[in-house]
Amino acid sequence: MAYQLYRNTTLGNSLQESLDELIQGSLNTYRFCDNVWTFVLNDVEFREVTDLVKVDKVKIVACDGKNTGSNAPE
Amino acid sequence: MEQNNSLPPFPQGLASPQGAMTPGLPIFSPMMPYGTGLTPQPVQNTNSLSLLEEQQRHGMVGGSGQTPQLYHSQVSTTTALPGNTPLYNTPLTPMTPITPATPASESSGIVPQLQNIVSTVNLGCKLDLKTIALRARNAEYNPKRFAAVIMRIREPRTTALIFSSGKMVCTGAKSEEQSRLAARKYARVVQKLGFPAKFLDFKIQNMVGSCDVKFPIRLEGLVLTHQQFSSYEPELFPGLIYRMIKPRIVLLIFVSGKVVLTGAKVRGEIYEAFENIYPILKGFRKTT
Repeated sequence: MAYQLYRNTTLGNSLQESLDELIQGSLNTYRFCDNVWTFVLNDVEFREVTDLVKVDKVKIVACDGKNTGSNAPE
Repeated sequence: MEQNNSLPPFPQGLASPQGAMTPGLPIFSPMMPYGTGLTPQPVQNTNSLSLLEEQQRHGMVGGSGQTPQLYHSQVSTTTALPGNTPLYNTPLTPMTPITPATPASESSGIVPQLQNIVSTVNLGCKLDLKTIALRARNAEYNPKRFAAVIMRIREPRTTALIFSSGKMVCTGAKSEEQSRLAARKYARVVQKLGFPAKFLDFKIQNMVGSCDVKFPIRLEGLVLTHQQFSSYEPELFPGLIYRMIKPRIVLLIFVSGKVVLTGAKVRGEIYEAFENIYPILKGFRKTT
């Protein structure tokens, strides 16, 4: 299930969802390379119980949390 | 399209009486409709509609026991021919010569909408996918899973698979021009990253269209009469898969009346396939 995206890709039918819906249109760019995701979002509100932070631009860099990513090249 | 100017003897026999009624009016005017939505009879019709047309075009029509399937049995329904006086019970004519298949009296009035175009192009140079993934926006590259960069652009909203050989697949466009334009935009992105990208052999590989006939369909009946072309396994997939021979298009036909057409290299094949299937579907309209 984790690799559904690529299953579709090998069929040549990639989905548009990441552009269409993700993050309700705030997504500016995304990148995935070396198992690292990088997102740039615009006009974002970070809401916590008491605080509200609004930013024009935020860059998110995300790596695999647990040991789910294998480092051995296939 | 060959117009059969030599009329088979049978219909020609009919021509005289009518000729007498409507002086000088050829009965076999191309306007003469023939056959709208009549269910292809299983008995004589072991072929798909398209094949039947082929037979007719070769003048095979009118075998003794064969009711001319695609003909109107009532002249009175023909409004296309001016001066056509109704009444004659003999099966109407027109044999064949006219453009096969599409009942001239009415096209379906429904135009399938293109939903997806898949095309390929050769950028003509080797590419370093990691460089592209790191420097281009909206790109994904996971070589462990798939050996290509997956890049997307917003306008036209498409996705491209870019391979290290320099070849590229572009999917998601809604028209041929959009697909070409999108492919050019991807090529430009690659070019701006420093690769000597060209735009060689752009070719549309597949086109997908869809439409709605607006009435429910008896898929079970359709698979019985068109078993050479249909495959319907409701436990596997709710749609009937109809593999039309001419044009070579695959249709997914659903009980709701929605139809998906795929496998086309040009837009016209989608339209042609739908015009071919529409009368057949009308014959299997659910009446309850």
